[in-house]
Amino acid sequence: MNSTAGDISAEAKKRGKLLVLLEQAQDKLGCLPKEFMARLAASLGLSISEVYGLATFYSFLSPGPSGRNVIRVCKSLPCYLKDLLIESVKREIGVGPGETTSDGRFSFELTNCIGACDQAPAMMVNHDVYGGLTPEELPRILERYK
Amino acid sequence: MKEFSATINGSPVTARDGMTILEVARENGIDIPTLCYSPELTLTGACRICVVEVEGSRTLVGSCHTPIAPGMVIQTHSPRVLDARRVTMELLLASHPEVCIVCDKANMCDLRKIAADLDVGLPRFRLPKHYFPMEDVSPYITRDMSKCIQCWKCVKACSEIAKKNVYGIAYRGFKSKVVVDFDDQPMDKEVCRDCGICIPFCPTGALCKPSPVRQAKTARPLVITGTAQQ
Repeated sequence: MNSTAGDISAEAKKRGKLLVLLEQAQDKLGCLPKEFMARLAASLGLSISEVYGLATFYSFLSPGPSGRNVIRVCKSLPCYLKDLLIESVKREIGVGPGETTSDGRFSFELTNCIGACDQAPAMMVNHDVYGGLTPEELPRILERYK
Repeated sequence: MKEFSATINGSPVTARDGMTILEVARENGIDIPTLCYSPELTLTGACRICVVEVEGSRTLVGSCHTPIAPGMVIQTHSPRVLDARRVTMELLLASHPEVCIVCDKANMCDLRKIAADLDVGLPRFRLPKHYFPMEDVSPYITRDMSKCIQCWKCVKACSEIAKKNVYGIAYRGFKSKVVVDFDDQPMDKEVCRDCGICIPFCPTGALCKPSPVRQAKTARPLVITGTAQQ
């Protein structure tokens, strides 16, 4: 009831740092290997369960290895209702959600809302957002990512 | 401590600053069902079984985590409240395995008891169950995550009372699950020796003390792989 900014315990600070550290590692390593998560848990004094739990909650953090470029198609309601995109991406790169192409060029993932509902259907490739997509536009967009 | 009055089910009640609606109701002998609440743990507000109607509030509120305020007019068993509780219970049961008849928790199960109190039988919603392999390797605890309703009590009991943080909550939405380490092998932690604090907190048969029958079992455990498995 009476927790104010001044009361944040050392415990909370430890957990506060966790997400930032996971994000940085994801950027640098492209994924979050178990060995890394185990070391991070030990160094922050947290349990592995807690680190793994956080890492698997966010669709932008991936525990498994992924391709050089990550395609993230939004599966939240507005995009889902305009659902042609998933099938089109699948046709274009030959693998389905949760898979990586054999040449390691693309990983395909479904993600929760990326804040582009007004441009549904939307997707992200790495850090770039593409909205108002039609199947015809896909090849042109994807060829920019090698 | 400041005292003030409020109204529950038409009768005046006396409340003190900082009390929740649930605490005041229970103090006055009104039984509001709860699954994720325990007076020994921090508040969760996850199960939504304890919702009540507060005059002037657009939605029903969770009584376990809503502080009572002076002059509040509360209904704990109105038709609207009971309807909401029944649907919530149906949804909980819809993804809960229908194995009560062979479950170790049997008549000690809070989920089953509250379902009976609410007069909820077979749920209308037919959802795929989330089946997970039985985790009966540890000599200290047996976990059957197919029965888990994600009330967080075990997670909190472990971190707040036992101070061990064995559990975490992983994944998201329908896939979320209470996990141990990387969720890649059955729970078997040495820190659980002589603990078992989480077991009585479990409102379902998901956590149990290992039974002698299971300990004597020598064959490989039956592994059921459902669609919910990663």
